[in-house]
Order: sequence, then C-alpha cells, then structure tokens
Amino acid sequence: MRWNYLAPVISIVASLAVVGVMLAVMGINPLEAYIVMFSRSFASKFGLAELCVKTTPLILTGLAVAIPLRAGLWNIGAEGQLYMGAFAASVVALYINLPEFLVIPLMMAAGAIFGMGWAAIPAFLKAKFDLNEIISTLLLNYVAIYWVEYMVYGPMRGKEVYNFPYTDLFPDAATLPRFFGTRLHLGFLIAILIAIAIYHILKRTDFGFAVRVVGANPRAADYAGISRQKIIFYSMLLGGMLAGIAGMIEVSGIQLRLRPAISTGYGYAGIPVALLASGNPLLVILSASLFGFLYVGGSALQTTYSVPVAIVYVFQALIVLFIIGGQSLRRGD
Amino acid sequence: MEAILEMRNIVKRFGDVVANDHVNLKVRKGEIHGLLGENGAGKTTLMNVLYGIYQPDEGEIIFEGRKVRFKSPRDAISAGIGMVHQHFMLVPRMNVLQNVILGYRTPSDPLINHKWVESKVEKLSEKYGIDIALYEVVMNLSVGEEQRVEILKALFRDVKLLILDEPTAVLTPQEVDSLFYALKSMTKSGLTIIFITHKLKEALKVTDRITVLRKGKNVGTVITAETSERELARMMVGRDVVMDVAKPEVEFGREVLRVEDLWVKDDRGGFAVKGVSFSIREGEIFGIAGVSGNGQKELEEAIAGLRTPARGKILLDGKDITKLGVEKRNEIAYVPEDRIGVGLAPSLSVLENLMLKDFKKYRKGLVLDYEKMEERAKELIEEFSVKTPSLHSPASTLSGGNIQRLILARELSRSPRLIIASQPTRGLDVAGIDYVRRRLVESAAKGCAVLLISEDLDEIFQISDRIAVIFEGEIRGIMERKEADYERVGYLMAGGLEVAV
Ligand SMILES: Nc1ncnc2c1ncn2[C@@H]1O[C@H](COP(=O)(O)OP(=O)(O)O)[C@@H](O)[C@H]1O
Ligand SMILES: [Mg+2]
Repeated sequence: MRWNYLAPVISIVASLAVVGVMLAVMGINPLEAYIVMFSRSFASKFGLAELCVKTTPLILTGLAVAIPLRAGLWNIGAEGQLYMGAFAASVVALYINLPEFLVIPLMMAAGAIFGMGWAAIPAFLKAKFDLNEIISTLLLNYVAIYWVEYMVYGPMRGKEVYNFPYTDLFPDAATLPRFFGTRLHLGFLIAILIAIAIYHILKRTDFGFAVRVVGANPRAADYAGISRQKIIFYSMLLGGMLAGIAGMIEVSGIQLRLRPAISTGYGYAGIPVALLASGNPLLVILSASLFGFLYVGGSALQTTYSVPVAIVYVFQALIVLFIIGGQSLRRGD
Repeated sequence: MEAILEMRNIVKRFGDVVANDHVNLKVRKGEIHGLLGENGAGKTTLMNVLYGIYQPDEGEIIFEGRKVRFKSPRDAISAGIGMVHQHFMLVPRMNVLQNVILGYRTPSDPLINHKWVESKVEKLSEKYGIDIALYEVVMNLSVGEEQRVEILKALFRDVKLLILDEPTAVLTPQEVDSLFYALKSMTKSGLTIIFITHKLKEALKVTDRITVLRKGKNVGTVITAETSERELARMMVGRDVVMDVAKPEVEFGREVLRVEDLWVKDDRGGFAVKGVSFSIREGEIFGIAGVSGNGQKELEEAIAGLRTPARGKILLDGKDITKLGVEKRNEIAYVPEDRIGVGLAPSLSVLENLMLKDFKKYRKGLVLDYEKMEERAKELIEEFSVKTPSLHSPASTLSGGNIQRLILARELSRSPRLIIASQPTRGLDVAGIDYVRRRLVESAAKGCAVLLISEDLDEIFQISDRIAVIFEGEIRGIMERKEADYERVGYLMAGGLEVAV
C-alpha cells in the first residue's frame, strides 16, 4: 500500500539523479541546472504563466490516457486525437460564420467530437475484434499528424503566410481569453474543471464503477454481466474526447492558427502523466504540472546552457521506465 | 519400533506468519504416518523443511539416528528421502522414462542404459503393483498416472522415507484404493511413508499413526486404531464440530432448470459438453460428480450465461434463456469454481465486490448512492458473517473462507431461483465447509433449485438429492442419492459405462 505513494516519488528522484549524471557528463553542474529550471518556472509571473500553459494540454492528455487505463486499456493515441481535435476546431474557426459567442463553444464541441471519433476507430476494433489497442492507437497518430500537415501545406494554407505551412490567424472570437498580460489563458481553468469532473464521474457514477471492475478483473466483469465491450468503447471515447479538447485549446489559446507540430509530444507525455498519477484524475493535475515544469525548465536549460530540449524527453522516458520497472520488481517478490 | 525420523522443535516463519511453531514429529520405521491438518496448518511447510526446500529457523532433524541438515532436495534425496508434491513436478513433453531418470546417473552415465532402467522399473512395478507405460509422453497421462510416475521416480532412487503431500486430492475413488494398496505393500518391504491429508476418513483408513497440526502447532500424535473421526476432528479444529449437515427430505416443487441436449465448446474449440440433459426442481439439490476437467466448467458457464452453447436449450422456469446474456439471468446465482479469478475483483473493496452485480440499482440521479450501498453491504456482512477489517479493504485481503462467504452473500441475497455452486468448499477449513453446505441446504429448503458441481464425493453424497456423474462431457447416469453408492459413482467417474440391467 505504502508503495503506491512512494513509487512516483522514487521514480522522480531516480530520474532526476540519472539526468543529473548526464548533465554532469556534458560538463554542466546539475545542481545549478536544476536551480535554473526552478527559477525560470517559479520566480516570475511569466514563468508561472508558462508553467500553466504547458500544464494545460498535459492535464487533458494525461486524462485521455488515465481513463482507458482504469479500464485496463492503453491509449497511446492521445497525440493523434489531439491533432484531429485541433484540426476540427480550426475548420470551425476559419471557415464557419457564427455569432461570436458561439464560436468558442462550437470549436470545443468540434474538437471533442473529432478526438472522440479518432479514438472510436481503435475502440471499435478492440471491442469487436480484440485488436491490440496499443498498436492501432499508435499507428493512427501518424495518420492524424500527416493529415494536419497535408491540410496546412495544401487546402488550408493561409493567404497571408508567405508560403509557410500555416493557416491564417484565427479571428479574435475564436481565441481563448488571456490573463495578466501573459500567455495564461482560459484553457487552463477548463482543463482543471474537466479533471475534477472526471474524478467525480469515475468515483461516483455507475459508469465509473463498471470501469473499475473491468480494469480490476475483466473476467469478473463478464461474470457480473457488465458489458466489457461497452466499457472499453466508452472509456476510450471519453479519453479521445479530452485529447481532442486539448487540441482545440492548444490552437485557440496558444498557436492561434493551425500548423504542423502544434504539439511537442503532449499526447505521448500523457502516458507518464497518467502512470505517475496511477490513473487518479486529481493526481493527474499534479503530475501534469511536474511535466509542465520539465517543459519550461527544459527550454530554460536550452537557452542557458544550449542543452538540447531532448533532455526533457529523456527525463519523461526515464520516469516511465522507473515506474514500470518498479512495478515488475514488486510483482517479482 | 525404532524411529527413522525425528524432527525436534521445528520453527519456520514467513514474515509475520509462523507456519511451523516448535513442531515435533517422530516417525517409526516401516509405518504409514499421517500428517493431518486443515489448509494452512503448516503440513506442506514442515515437509518442505524436511526435504531441504526450506531451512528451518529453529530446531533439528534426526534421520536414521544422525543429525542432518539438508541444504537442498538433492541432499535429502541422497540421504534416502523422496517427496511427491501436491503439485506435480514433471516435464510434460518428456516421456515417463526420461522423467524418472531426470537428474539420476544410470551406471553407463553419461549415456542412458535403457535396458537397465527398464528392468529396474519392471521390478519396482511388480513389487508394488504400480503399472505405467515407460515410453508414454507425460503430457498424455491422466493425473492419476502422473502421480504414479512421481512415486516411481522416488522409488527408483531407493528411498527409505517417502512423503506424499495430499496425494488423493486429484484421484477418483478407485485410484485412491489402488494408491492405498501400493502404499501398504511398500511398507511391507520396509519403506516408511508420511501421508499428508486434510481428510479424516483417509487418514483413518490408511495410516498407522497420525500427527495432527493446527495453526502451525503440533496438537498430538495418536494411534490410528485407537482414535475416531470425532477425536481427530476435534484435534484438527480445536473444538467439537458437528460434521453432518444433512439435506432434509422435502417435497420438490415445479421444475426450475431444464437443460436439453446441450453442447458447449471449450476455449480451444473442441466440444467439452456433449449432449447433456437434466432438470432440477424447486427444493432440490442436484449434484454433479466428476474429476475436474470433464466439462464441468463449460457446463456451468453455459448455464450462467458466460459461454454460448453450440447446440441445445437451457430453460429457466419454462423460459428459454439459451441466448440471454448474464445480465438478463438475474434469477441465477453463481458461485464459480475460480472464486478469485472470476467471482471477484480482488483489488477492489469488499463493498464494491458485494455490489458487483447490483450497483446499477443504487443510482440516484447521475450518481450512485454510496450511503445506501454501504448500508446494504453492512447488512450482508452481518448476515453472512464475513470477517473483514472494513468495507473498504481490498477483497484480496480476506481469507479463503471469507472470500467464499462474500461471494455467497452477494449471490444468495439476490433471491435466486437457481444456484450454481461449483467446487464450493474446495480449499476451505472445516468450519467454512460446514457453513457453505448449510447455506446451500437452507436455500434449497426455501425453494431454490441448486446445481452442485463437486469433485468431493463426500460433499455430493452429503447434500444432494440426486446425483449425476460427468465424464468427458457426458452425463453418465443420474441416480437418486438413496440408490447411489461410492463404488458405482466412482466407477462412472473413472469412465466406466453403466450396463443396462
Ligand atoms: N512460501 C511461503 N511464503 C509465505 N507464506 C507461506 C509460504 N508457504 C506457506 N506459507 C504460509 O504458511 C502457512 C502454512 O502453509 P502450508 O504449509 O502450505 O499449509 P498446509 O500444507 O497445511 O495447507 C500458511 O499460512 C501459508 O500461507
Ligand atoms: Mg499443503
């Protein structure tokens, strides 16, 4: 039992130590480097705002992984779902004429639906034919990413972008309000509210109950007459929906247009975020903040020491390895 | 008579569990010494200490007058001790001969002298009446035959002391008889045998003396001829037990379950149930006897709705339910054979497990009414005396007996018409066994139909009204309990065919 609380802490500390060694090998004092990371994230209003900005999509993709994970499924496809959500929201922002107050809600709905639809494909294949969802969700990421690339190089390329693969900037009504003169935007609040809502859904509703049973023992779910197919399908859809919303928030809050590489691996980072939180939606907020910190701190390292940002991904990967390694060690005894 | 083995003050701990607590055991040369105790009493641990698998934390072992310390089974074997484990340890893909000589140096080592092995095995077979085809692959053997290979393997190494850990658990009554016969003839030629069991009748039948363990402690050693079932039970459990739940005669009501020409496939796609038909009435307990793996699992799953039959019909109260899913078979309570793997979500709480089938009934608006659920769960825990630290502890922390009580609480409280109980007392202690059987009998008395599927013939005979035998997916004879006897049922269980009279 105690392990459950200790494991994330140990994984984080161990990853910090290993990354520290790597920094030292590059000739950088790890302690100083970590201090730089901290001061850049916490010492100013802009630092804090950036932290929230990076944390926002991570909360949502973390949930997109966490919900199916509770039902025993691996959603590796949050990245693709995010891209599809961003794409759909951009179409609404750029091509549909609406009363202003309806633009944002409709963009969000479109993002949610497309993220959900993108998750529905692997969910259906899994529920119906028991096709491995890890593979199908992963492969669909590439389809979604290249689809967006195709659109911005081709049909959706803007008129005022000098041959860059961008769409035009969104109209004002299609951008999320920002606060305090920073990049902090309404999406942060939305993400947190969604996390709280998901927490209550999983904890209190009959859907949440069924998800827990399916995740804990699929055979007991069959035995109890809980439809495993349905739960697999819906939990995956719910996850895809949140990743789609993350995509909408990214384009509407930060990028203000659609372009390639809108996500720097937020969908994949959702996996360690969910694991670190052991699937608990409230803890996802915390672990997403940690990864947000890594993103902000990582770019601080880049500007200060010209360490490649890749160090952030090394860190992420290490955390996953330590968590999974710890779990298999525990199973061994 | 001289002692061949003496274990003195053996202590073996696993973390906080004291599996053996200053146990003394004295075994005489040439006797069959019974080691009796409930599940978890520490029998296997004690023998593993003797066999060198575990090192004792305290105590000493004297074998043939010398103080010994076995660091591994290899040491024990070379000292002349053999052990047949509860779970067999043969290599399935090798043949019998290869298994027998595995780890043994024949005179022509490193080559295998087949002639020499054959003649040695032949002598042993003749001497003890153990028949076995030497070149058959172990995979193709029945459980009883595998056990003979294990015994042969030990005898082949010229053991002086042979330990058998619950050897009868997997055997049909006929196989048990021939095992007992072989054991007797072994002692006649000077071998000593330690026979582990938790079944009183067997201990009384085959042993010379019996040592009883209870909760890791030695309760005493008695001479078999001078003891009784009642005394042994008291020693084993620590208090008097009433051991006969009897099924009262009742008037049977309407037919509840009817199974017609049912064919069910197993996971590999072959037919595991082949044209089974029977029916059960209100108030009746219908017992299906049979060695595990003869189609019981597929049959019960088909009736419970977990497996779609390939052919045939299942009728509940006259309604055809063959095609309905589990959730539409609310009148069926199901106590599955694999309690932890199927009947439970072990990592979820006791509360959640109690509500596994009924949680949807507690919907209040958008959410579930956890207060009401807790209230109901408390009642159930009370009524079925499930011992748990709290409603929110994971079900996996409960003991085997309490897990079964939890499942019974959930299943029987849903006022079922039919109860399917599969191996419902396997692995439980005497008190647990008694409780489960009593509950089943009570439910029948209240008008339920009960389908009891069990390997335990005592259980079948104790509470069934009618008895059927399943063998290789077919029902071989259905009889009233009054007309049934162990020999006939055992004969059918082993694949014998009933001859029309
Ligand atoms: N390897 C082990 N690790 C931890 N506990 C064990 C181990 N083996 C046995 N035990 C515990 O020791 C006790 C005695 O077990 P065992 O000797 O198998 O009993 P028996 O054979 O009489 O059923 C039980 O409580 C069991 O859980
Ligand atoms: Mg044992």
